Amino acid sequence: MEQLFFFYFAAVIAVASVLVVALRNPIYSALSLLIMFFHVAGLYVSLRAEFLAAVQVIVYAGAILVLYLFVVMLLNLKQDDRYHRQWPVAGVVGLTLAVEAVMLTLLKGRAIPPAPANTNETVEGLGNTEALGDALYSTYLFPFEVASLILLVAMIGAIILAKKDIGGSEA
Amino acid sequence: MSGIELLLEYLTKYFPILLFIFVALAFGVVTLLISYLVQPKYPEPEKLSAYECGSEPFSDARMPFPVRYYIFAMLFVIFDIEVIFLYPWAVVFNDINKVSIIGLVEMLVFIALFLVAYVYAWRKGALEWD
Amino acid sequence: MTIPVFYYLILSAVVFLTGLVGVLIRRNIIIILLSVELMLNATNINFVAFSQYFHNVAGQVFVFFALTIAAAEVAVGLAIIIALHRAKSSINVDEFQLLKW
Repeated sequence: MEQLFFFYFAAVIAVASVLVVALRNPIYSALSLLIMFFHVAGLYVSLRAEFLAAVQVIVYAGAILVLYLFVVMLLNLKQDDRYHRQWPVAGVVGLTLAVEAVMLTLLKGRAIPPAPANTNETVEGLGNTEALGDALYSTYLFPFEVASLILLVAMIGAIILAKKDIGGSEA
Repeated sequence: MSGIELLLEYLTKYFPILLFIFVALAFGVVTLLISYLVQPKYPEPEKLSAYECGSEPFSDARMPFPVRYYIFAMLFVIFDIEVIFLYPWAVVFNDINKVSIIGLVEMLVFIALFLVAYVYAWRKGALEWD
Repeated sequence: MTIPVFYYLILSAVVFLTGLVGVLIRRNIIIILLSVELMLNATNINFVAFSQYFHNVAGQVFVFFALTIAAAEVAVGLAIIIALHRAKSSINVDEFQLLKW
């Protein structure tokens, strides 16, 4: 049953991500990315990361993708008819990495060590949000503050870059 | 854990969400289906064209949006992330052993930065509608 | 009956490669950013799979930070796209060859 869940989610994620790259109309690409985000959230649920699944839906599907769709509609894009000339480069790079991944998994992949016993920061037992908050606000306090600083800087930068149209009078 | 047990566990845990998804889907599908079945259908080219207050339609319906919508969506993304950071903190805050006074201070610093961002957006006029 | 972590690695490699190829072959900047999102999601799948495998919540905390970075990247990246579109009224990457104009 678990395998059924996994193969369903994995198949949809793979197909949707290929569609994101292959479709010509940017709106269709964004919508297939939406499907992919929802299925990644489903995969997180089957991995017992419930809080991250909720965050994935709220942030990626609810905020980031809406922003993409706004920009696509704002710029009034026509269809993008040709792929880039450098597709041979893409083929070479992609093929190299794919071969590397296949080789590594064939050589080492099956010999994965057995899962270690529970460390002190266990996922099971207490709820997922609780475990995550526990780790985030004890061990990772400094990265947390840096993240808030990054968000501040990102907001200031984005406002400055898009500033010509806001601030009313001179626009 | 066997397959059926697992499925039952997921079903009991996620039943409200499942119900929510079904009701949301059914609402859309049933509404469209009913209006499709009930409506009278006399298609004419004039009727099938877009209605623009009687005048001939002169452009595609996909018009460019004004850029100010983009600013709101962008601010929403940033503030959304900041609010998401509050959830795990609120869950563990009860247990004073886990989040010490340092955790409280750090969250206050976080909220202070968040207020700086808010005040900046306000002063720059990013929150103005016009 | 549990899924080997090996399968998750294959899935995330597939998604990551798709995103990489998308960055290289598309000419539309918005699709390029969407492909970057694909690559970020591939790494997130990896992090969560290993977090489950090692019974350690640190991987999920990293996904949380990756999400924060993704949001910041989207806000700034799309603002840059809007500024570029305003300057050149195009979002085809082939037309942006100057560092300064």
